[in-house]
Amino acid sequence: MSAWSYYISTLAVYFGVDVLSGISLNLQYGYAGVVNLAYIIFQSVGAYVAAATALGPDTGAGAFQHYIFAASLPFPIPLLLATVAGGALAGVVGLFSLRRMRRDYQGAIMLIVSLIALQVVTADVPLFNGSNGLTGVPRPLSFLPVGPLAYQWVYAGWVFVFCAAVYLLVQWLSRSPWGRALKAMRDQEEAASAIGLNITVLRLQVFVVGGLIAGLSGGLLVEYIGAWSPGAWGYAETFVIFTAIFVGGLGNYRGVVLGVLLVPVVFLQVTQFLPQIGYPGLMDSLEWVVIGLLFMVCLLVRPRGILPERKPIALEGSSLQFAAPGLLHQLRRRLRSL
Amino acid sequence: MATANPRAAVDIPHGAVGRAEASTTGAGQPVIAAQDLVVSYGGVVAVAGMSLEVRPGEAVGLIGPNGAGKSSFLAALAGQNRAARGRVLLDGKDVTRLPSYQRARLGLARTFQMTSEFANMTTFENLLTAGMGVQGAALSNVVLHHRSNRAHNREVERQAWAVLHRFDATHIANLYGRELSGGQRRLVEIMRCLMRSPKVLLLDEPMVGVAPHLVARLVSDLKSLRDDGIALVIVEHALEVVKEVSDRVNVMALGRLIASGTYEEVVSNDAVQAAYLG
Amino acid sequence: MLGTLASAVAFGVVLASVIAIAAMGFTVQFGLTNVLNLSYGGIMTIGGFAAYLVASHGLSAWYGLPVGAVAGAIVTLIVGRGIFAVYARRGARVFEMMMVTLGLGLVIDYGLQALSRNNIYEFTVLQSRPFSFGPIILTPTQVTIIGVGLALFVGLEGLLRLTKVGKALRAMAANPALARACGIRTRQIVVLTWLLSGALCGLAGVVYIINSQSVGYTTGELFLPLVIAAAILGGAGSPAGAVLASLLMGVVTQVVAAYGGSLYSTAAGFGVLVVVLLSRPSAVLTKQASEELTLA
Repeated sequence: MSAWSYYISTLAVYFGVDVLSGISLNLQYGYAGVVNLAYIIFQSVGAYVAAATALGPDTGAGAFQHYIFAASLPFPIPLLLATVAGGALAGVVGLFSLRRMRRDYQGAIMLIVSLIALQVVTADVPLFNGSNGLTGVPRPLSFLPVGPLAYQWVYAGWVFVFCAAVYLLVQWLSRSPWGRALKAMRDQEEAASAIGLNITVLRLQVFVVGGLIAGLSGGLLVEYIGAWSPGAWGYAETFVIFTAIFVGGLGNYRGVVLGVLLVPVVFLQVTQFLPQIGYPGLMDSLEWVVIGLLFMVCLLVRPRGILPERKPIALEGSSLQFAAPGLLHQLRRRLRSL
Repeated sequence: MATANPRAAVDIPHGAVGRAEASTTGAGQPVIAAQDLVVSYGGVVAVAGMSLEVRPGEAVGLIGPNGAGKSSFLAALAGQNRAARGRVLLDGKDVTRLPSYQRARLGLARTFQMTSEFANMTTFENLLTAGMGVQGAALSNVVLHHRSNRAHNREVERQAWAVLHRFDATHIANLYGRELSGGQRRLVEIMRCLMRSPKVLLLDEPMVGVAPHLVARLVSDLKSLRDDGIALVIVEHALEVVKEVSDRVNVMALGRLIASGTYEEVVSNDAVQAAYLG
Repeated sequence: MLGTLASAVAFGVVLASVIAIAAMGFTVQFGLTNVLNLSYGGIMTIGGFAAYLVASHGLSAWYGLPVGAVAGAIVTLIVGRGIFAVYARRGARVFEMMMVTLGLGLVIDYGLQALSRNNIYEFTVLQSRPFSFGPIILTPTQVTIIGVGLALFVGLEGLLRLTKVGKALRAMAANPALARACGIRTRQIVVLTWLLSGALCGLAGVVYIINSQSVGYTTGELFLPLVIAAAILGGAGSPAGAVLASLLMGVVTQVVAAYGGSLYSTAAGFGVLVVVLLSRPSAVLTKQASEELTLA
């Protein structure tokens, strides 16, 4: 029973972290049309900074890992620094590589930036210990008097608190005039300029806000796993989250939760329970094949995703409402359209 | 914090919307002017030295055969294209080096050849986005002043309803841009421009894709905008529209001005006829 | 000192030939269809594996070249007509198409990983005595690779400039609507484009594994950004441009590798792609700037 409990609680933590990632990507792509195929590097910088600032100094006779920022900062400072690091890196990358251009070129640039970052971190050992990465990151909530299993659940709860807070905050931002400006930029960049919006600044802003969330997610994840290395982050990780938000429904955050539940959690975890076929490791390869296929099918069959964007209804005399058809109503409509 | 708004409760007289920020220059001063504008793409010269002056409340039609450079000229006025040579002046101020969003903030509004409504937002949202203004949409403003913004936001919503009433368009307020017909999209574009109380409105072939019975409606709408004191520059192929709305007509061919005057003068001009037929 | 530099440049030219073959195929495909095909690297790997299969059955490794070309051509045609065209018909725009190709790339890469059991296979071509030109030492294989690259370039340029079909291809790449109006059989031209670019892609894969002496599922992965950089830097649709840009990429990466180590050389190569994509001025009138897809 406790093995099952461990499994579910671990899943819960990953679910929460992926929801944060999904919110960040959905804000950037679903609302603003900004293609951030380099998402994983912002999560990674958060993870590395949280790790490096929580671990002690790296020099000394027995030192086996080398990294910058060595300082044993107490909780919750590393997490804060992780968030800031994500935003800062996003600012730098954004300033340099976000331009008005075809979205696929922009996507390709971001992909390559993430590949370059991977190469640089792997090669530059004094930075974050190269390809071996960092391990032994101390657990942040260890001052609580709970056993190991209970700690898992406490940590999951800790992650969920952030999820809820970020969800509400980002949803509020997305429904604000700023969020509308982002949607205008997404729909018709030139026309958005023609009504006075500064597209360059908007793009950078949404990129940095997304980066802050990414850094937070990385910090939370590394403080759970305790280790982080370049093997953990490649472009495929970003692709999974993209698939999740596409499946769940772009342009709304309920969709993010649904998509993350379906794709990284249900879809990818289901393979754990299937009988082992072929040689060991085959299932891992096939998982990626399935993700690629899932994305392609989703784009073909249901490009808007499962949950549609909520339409804001304007009525004279009252302020803008976001239509909230009940779940039953939505189901009925969907069944009728099949 | 003014909550009593004379506009909200009363029937909107035609003049009210759009006059809020009338041009500060005297009646004789052009509100928009281009001086010897040259626009080129790669090696191709699209506009070869074009000049123009429009006064408040004046409507200038811009016609000419295909490839004459009319749209490129309009885009250069708006700041979408960088002019290789020449100047663009808005209310006497040199805006040649300014990007389009800054010209928009100085009172320039425009429509596009292919309707540019925000397809995945409702008509109402389209109007709100334009009406919020730079301050309203700024991230820092949204986050830091969100309590005091409520009044401003309500004010903009009221203005949006006023514009919708003026154009008899309240029934499309909650339709997504992509659900609208061609004529309705064009209307949304124009209404969106109005939310900013512009001094100048540049229209690039506004009647394209508009059903014939709506064209008359739009023509009278444009005339009323002109009567409100907005300067109009209209690129159009439909000559009856140009005749109806314009005070003056300029004819372009091969990137240059070849004739200027009233519609009748221009249409009977030999050079103009040659340009269209030759 | 000069010797190191000269060697690096020579190896750069060899690498450039490999890049050039791939880039010529990519540029022909991209120039006409306007699809940023990120599964191109995967199809290169398919070509490489096809050649490996041939070689493992006893035939000379050089027979792998035509086999790889055929494999690449067939797969690309199926993918282009059977997959990409479907999305284009449904109204997919350039970014969505790219994501589709990225998804397809995952399917191909990890499908190959599954099929190959994650192994890397040796692929040796019998070597005879190397040639030496002063401080530069090149094996006959490397010289042959340069020769193959040159031959393909001449052949491709000849096809595009001298034959009727080639002219139709160039016309369609420049202005599809006009080409259609002129009566050019656009559907056939698109099929030809898939076949031609696919063949070059497969060939490039074989040449790559001949050069690196091994084949595995990651073969195309880190190579693709260099290819795309060369194709776009040289101007979409221009094989001559692709060749010149490939020379630049090849020499730059090898020189950086000689002095800085191979990890930084890869990063340098990628850096070139980023700079190219950021700075390539998109003149308003080009097909690439219009974001329009031509798949039928």
